[in-house]
Amino acid sequence: MTDYENAIEIKSVTKRYDGFTLDSISFDVPKGCIMGFIGQNGAGKTTTIRSLLHITDIDGGEIRLLGLDHIKDETAIKKRIAVVFDELPFHDVFNARDMARIFEGMYPEWDNAVYMQYLERFQLPTAKQIGNFSKGMKMKLQIACALSHNAELLVMDEATTGLDPVVRDEILHIFMEYLQNGERSILMSSHITSDLEKIADMVTFIDRGKILLTGCKDEIIERHGILKCDKDKLGEIDAEDTVSIRLNSFGAEVMVNDRENASYKYRGCVIDPASLDDIMLYYVHRDRKEWS
Amino acid sequence: MKLYRSLVYRELKLTRKRFLLMLILFLLLALLMLTPIMLDGFSAPAEGEESPVETILLLVGTVTLTGGFLAGTNNGLQKADISAGWKRYSFILPPTARQQALSDLLTKLCYILFFGLLSAAFAWIYSAAADYNSFGIMVNIYLGAVCAVMLIDIAYSYIMMFANDKKQLRIFGVIAFFGAGIILRAVGLFTDGKPAEQSAEDGVLISEEAFNSFFAALSSGKTTLCAAAAFAVICALYFLVMWRSHERREP
Repeated sequence: MTDYENAIEIKSVTKRYDGFTLDSISFDVPKGCIMGFIGQNGAGKTTTIRSLLHITDIDGGEIRLLGLDHIKDETAIKKRIAVVFDELPFHDVFNARDMARIFEGMYPEWDNAVYMQYLERFQLPTAKQIGNFSKGMKMKLQIACALSHNAELLVMDEATTGLDPVVRDEILHIFMEYLQNGERSILMSSHITSDLEKIADMVTFIDRGKILLTGCKDEIIERHGILKCDKDKLGEIDAEDTVSIRLNSFGAEVMVNDRENASYKYRGCVIDPASLDDIMLYYVHRDRKEWS
Repeated sequence: MKLYRSLVYRELKLTRKRFLLMLILFLLLALLMLTPIMLDGFSAPAEGEESPVETILLLVGTVTLTGGFLAGTNNGLQKADISAGWKRYSFILPPTARQQALSDLLTKLCYILFFGLLSAAFAWIYSAAADYNSFGIMVNIYLGAVCAVMLIDIAYSYIMMFANDKKQLRIFGVIAFFGAGIILRAVGLFTDGKPAEQSAEDGVLISEEAFNSFFAALSSGKTTLCAAAAFAVICALYFLVMWRSHERREP
């Protein structure tokens, strides 16, 4: 087993498609933390995840998982990671017991007792065919499978999308428990920023194939703010302080990228804290600068 | 070993329904072909009567050919895996492409062995009833049928490996169907009708001399060796295609 500092290291990764390019992206997921990977639909989240899992080949750059090369050490890596997709990739004819029989031969560290505990906790039937499960049950089964082989890294691609708030909350709670020993890490892609606001330690924001922000979630939220002012005062605000400006019938809301500095600089204006949702929204419109 | 047990278990469980259907079809046909024994039994031919050897060959050949076709045919796993999303999921699982391909081959061999044993049992019943050993012929016909159908399956599987998800499944399914048809034509299982017309002179489809030489070739040990060698090569080819299929990443 290798010692590593970052569970995921992505350096200058490029992947070109017709009409979309993942443009030399770089970010790290430190060991023991939950990284929220946010961006609107089509921003490049799934392409990034597929690239790091070697579901697709990359055109350039380097990816290391658990300190190992994602292609050269693929087999070793895959014994130590778990992935949860937005849809259950298991065949409808199987039941939960069948899945245990399938996975116990594949993963050296598969633990049937842990798996059964999760099934019990999620109240999943062991003999019922997966095809007859609800969406929530399917997601819980996928998570139970992912957490039963002592994986050091859990990668989730829109895993909570489409689930009701009760199930989502239950699942997020399980992830928090899973991370408690400090040796495990999670990369969680989602466009439901409220989930990430609850559990993520770090956030990476991707848009149109480019990484716009990456770092500690609290710092990012702390740094940004929404400055509210009249439209005629907009001229006084430096362009370099703003991400973009939202115009409405009452005035303007400006996303500032350094809240503390802005509060000194524009004393007459109110600056509200920004949520991850706000930050995502204002960054998406960064090219237009002014939008409504 | 534990790994292969898991992989083969998954594949056998997934193909269980298809297998049951094939088994029912095979048993119905075998039962139909056993009717002569159940009604009359076989005895040495009287003067002017048709030799039972030809009938035995026809009956054993029909059942064996069917067994071979059912065992060698595509088991629908690739399609089911793409449709369920398992193909994509398999990229993140520890088994390597080579291990997955080997499990595909092992599953195929399980079916080939099973239907081979059933065909052998059928041939044995006829051998016991008619006091005529058709086992060698049965093996040759069986291996020949399995090889021909596996060749088609290889072409089908090769084309299907380019489908990545449900959307692409239909288009590649159609392409694979026609691709397999071309292979079928190439190995001569489709004819344009001309050979049948040419041989139908004087109401005799096949002369006694031609039948004898065909029969001699069919029961020859050399044919068995050739069929076994071809089977080994085709199994290796199947393994390589499945290996490539599991190795190939999405674009």
